[in-house]
Amino acid sequence: MIRPFGEAALLVELGSPDRAQSLAASLRTDPLRGVVEAVPGLASVLVEVAPLGARPGALAPALRKRIATLESVPQPGRLHTIRVVYDGADLEEVASLSGQTPDDVVALHTGTELRVLFCGFAPGFAYLGDLPSALRVDRLPTPRTRTPAGSVAIAGRMSGIYPADLPGGWRVIGRTDVELFDPRRDPPVLLLPGDRVRFEPAR
Amino acid sequence: MIEVVEPGSLTSVQAAGGRPGWRHLGVPVGGAADGWSARLANRLVGNADDAALLEVTLVGPTLRFVTRARVALAGARFEASLDGLAIASFVTHEAREGSTLRIGAGDGARAYLAMAGGIEVEPLLGSAATDLRSGFGGLEGRALRAGDVMALGPASDVARRWTGALPEGPIRIVDGPHVDSLGPGALADAEWTVSTAADRAAVRFDGPHLAPSESDVASMGLPLGAIQVPPDGHPIVMLADRPVTGGYPVPGCVIGADVGRVARLRPGDTVRFASVSPQDARRAFRDREDELAALTEAGAPEDDELGWTGALE
Repeated sequence: MIRPFGEAALLVELGSPDRAQSLAASLRTDPLRGVVEAVPGLASVLVEVAPLGARPGALAPALRKRIATLESVPQPGRLHTIRVVYDGADLEEVASLSGQTPDDVVALHTGTELRVLFCGFAPGFAYLGDLPSALRVDRLPTPRTRTPAGSVAIAGRMSGIYPADLPGGWRVIGRTDVELFDPRRDPPVLLLPGDRVRFEPAR
Repeated sequence: MIEVVEPGSLTSVQAAGGRPGWRHLGVPVGGAADGWSARLANRLVGNADDAALLEVTLVGPTLRFVTRARVALAGARFEASLDGLAIASFVTHEAREGSTLRIGAGDGARAYLAMAGGIEVEPLLGSAATDLRSGFGGLEGRALRAGDVMALGPASDVARRWTGALPEGPIRIVDGPHVDSLGPGALADAEWTVSTAADRAAVRFDGPHLAPSESDVASMGLPLGAIQVPPDGHPIVMLADRPVTGGYPVPGCVIGADVGRVARLRPGDTVRFASVSPQDARRAFRDREDELAALTEAGAPEDDELGWTGALE
């Protein structure tokens, strides 16, 4: 589905992270005339057009055509193994909320290979999914004003690592010292869409 | 060279347009919160639109010019003086070697101080803009501090005056993708007060409690000006430093022509929103672009600009 989003953008809903990343990548490597930027979300792409150019709706036919030609099987990304010290402030509560021991939580978090579904929130932050259903907990009712850099956290079906000291409502189960964002590096973020992540307990 | 004597309440190096092209990796566009005014300030001193300049918030800095420079203020009108003499916004002034520029409070939240040649900082991911949230870009990724020293690039000798007008009246909005999640007119029928939760990423408004019919939506990219409604029912207008994606319903968007006005609002200011068509929004954008070009030679000082030294040597 393609909907207008403001006077100079369209929201293209694609139903899956793979298709959203695939359309956004296609629009970066082979831009459609008039498209300024394509920003993937979880399962959609925000397509921004030049504000002084043609109206965004005029792009819909070309976008539909592009969507029809997308590769359906994504390339498997790189595998990152990330060492985590599981001593997060919310580990006990996550365990009790999910009716398990903290060790069970660690075993579930380290026992699943996760994929980068999309990037957002802050530079270097990757939305990793999907967590096993036994590990799914809600966000904190009141977000913290500061979650320390390196915090490994979970919320719903996703996990993520805070790349900097940031406000946040995800539940923190551990920490890591991996550097997620460096604006002088190419690419500037460590975890790219499609990459795979395996967490490992640091001993 | 310029030396920071007092940093002001929040002064940072910014650039209009920010760093586009990195949002797919989670890097916000950022840049001047009121990009239009930043471009105007740069044009007044003959800089490129995206030259690095200072974004001044609420109370401005005091700067000492180690070397002479032509300067201009645009955005909200801030009280400012050059060597003790009041100077006006929207016209070029000359700071001499050893001059002190004091910028006080303004009639809005933000203004831009452009200096001919632009501030020389290392561009990161294509821009000089400071990302204060993640701490990179601009001057060491942070706001100015007393004692900071900045160098300027090579300057032309342009001295200009802007003769255009700033838009007034309600803040204009167009429908967002979740317009049906609120009753018709829910945003336009009320008066809204800017809350203290107002920064470069977003401005939150207090007013009637909004209760969208859907409370969570799949995270999606957010354009500049998107109006999100989180579960607390307070609409927030997303600005330059907004996160790349958001997961709350977006019933409307502030039009491109009026986003800078939202960035100029101070906590406690009251506004109304008015719905317009996308066609009107695009026309308004074009009009704002035309207004940017309403520049003349700086010419003779006006009576209320005693401190003006224009292009005089």
